Amino acid sequence: MADNSKMAREGGLIPKSALTKAWLIWETFPQTCYNYERMMGQVVAHFFSVLVGFLYPDDPEKRKDLMRREIEFFNVHIEAGSCILGMIAAMEEEKAQGVDIPNEFITNIKTSLMGPLAGVGDTIWQGVVIPILLGICIDLTSMGGGNIWGAIIYAVVICAAAYAISYANFMFGYNAGSNAVLDFLEKGTLNKILKGASIMGCMVMGGLIVNYVKVACGVEIASAGSVFNLQTGFFDMVMPRILPLATTMLIYWLLKKRWSSLKIIGLIIVIGIVGGLSGILV
Amino acid sequence: MSILQAVLCGITYWLAIGNLPFVGLWSLQRPLVCGLVTGVILGDPVAGAVVGGSINLVYLGFISAGGSMPADMALAGILGTAYAIVGGLDSGTALALSVPIGLLGTIVWYLRMTFDSVFVHVADNYIEKGEHHKIWRANVLYPQIFAAVITVIPCTLAAYFGASYIQSFIDFMSGPILNVFQVIGGMMPALGIAITLTYIFKGEATVFLFVGFVLAVYTGLGLLPLGVIALLTAIVYVQLSSGSEDAAATPAAGEDEEEF
Repeated sequence: MADNSKMAREGGLIPKSALTKAWLIWETFPQTCYNYERMMGQVVAHFFSVLVGFLYPDDPEKRKDLMRREIEFFNVHIEAGSCILGMIAAMEEEKAQGVDIPNEFITNIKTSLMGPLAGVGDTIWQGVVIPILLGICIDLTSMGGGNIWGAIIYAVVICAAAYAISYANFMFGYNAGSNAVLDFLEKGTLNKILKGASIMGCMVMGGLIVNYVKVACGVEIASAGSVFNLQTGFFDMVMPRILPLATTMLIYWLLKKRWSSLKIIGLIIVIGIVGGLSGILV
Repeated sequence: MSILQAVLCGITYWLAIGNLPFVGLWSLQRPLVCGLVTGVILGDPVAGAVVGGSINLVYLGFISAGGSMPADMALAGILGTAYAIVGGLDSGTALALSVPIGLLGTIVWYLRMTFDSVFVHVADNYIEKGEHHKIWRANVLYPQIFAAVITVIPCTLAAYFGASYIQSFIDFMSGPILNVFQVIGGMMPALGIAITLTYIFKGEATVFLFVGFVLAVYTGLGLLPLGVIALLTAIVYVQLSSGSEDAAATPAAGEDEEEF
């Protein structure tokens, strides 16, 4: 505690370098041992394993107590939930300095915040950010007869974004504490972000349907010497790509009816076999 | 395909689903990325990225939440791309071929999720002995060795033997059967898009799906310019709607918070 400038915060016990290392462990190894019993519980213990020595330098029993309560069940979205790790690091630090924080309080913070943050994180990250970025990058890849840049851009951007967001969120949790995180969850900012992201996502998905879903009717009706092609003569007249749109909306509707993706894959294969062999679909 | 190339495919699969540093989860697991790597291994990076990209369309919005895994997109991406390059398949056919592979691969995920529980008790033991500095072994080392065993071996075998049979499989496929594969491959991306829509196709955003659709149909815009237009549209919309909300109903600010 001699040199205060190296500490993560004034009067604290944890050096900045140790805190950064702990965060790197969280962001890098959250699912290396993902399991049904504790989910991400073990990585929280791994995270604290580099901090606990600074918190209780000469009390092995207190070190054990801390590790025991931090290896319990934990599951959250990695980047959205990193603020929880920052928060509990700050709390354990205060507790080690003598502030009276009950063990249950720390556990409750973890369990009560992991649900909402997992929900928000999975929706925005896996439901909006990744599909939009993937959609655009897949399109880049197919340009000009094919290139590798779409794949490289995707990998670099998504990794950089994951680490940057996770670090900022972690430090926010560490410095601001639980009240600030709860405030943020309750304020309208998050809803605005979610609304904007949904709008952008929907537009990009509309473009993806046009470019990548391929459903065309191969039925031709011969009458009075001329051949009437149902696809070019009817569907394309109504609106080009109307069948891909209809297919997507049908699958969306089935998903809303709680069909599993497995069942829908089965349906697509059946339709493909029947339609493909009979020539109704080409 | 040489044995070395097959082993490299197996290692790629391990890195993709082992969630190791900087790779895995968000990057290498996606067929767009592991397809490129498979292409590099097999000497055709461009074909790898293109085929991987189209396989990836099925898994666009696949979400692994709460420890579930609807499909193993990494295995589908690696083997689908490898078979496509070796057998000279077009991306639609490769896509139809890779979807069942992806379903098969979920076995690996559930095996890991179940068996990894063992290592948590190893970590519990370290804690009781006060050996915190050893927890990394239980969290990273042992589970990753286990993951390597159950991923590298099957993927290597599937890549090696699958590739030698793929040619006779292609020869068998002709006319109507090939058409079946292409029809299936053409419809599969609709599933990836529809799954994404279940998260975002709600409220005021719904109409923008059709805005994007019509815009793309009649202008032929690529997805990058469309994405930029979409971003700007979203910003303008949020600004306009929040502006009117603030002016009209400040007390009712909490009304749409039930979503979470």
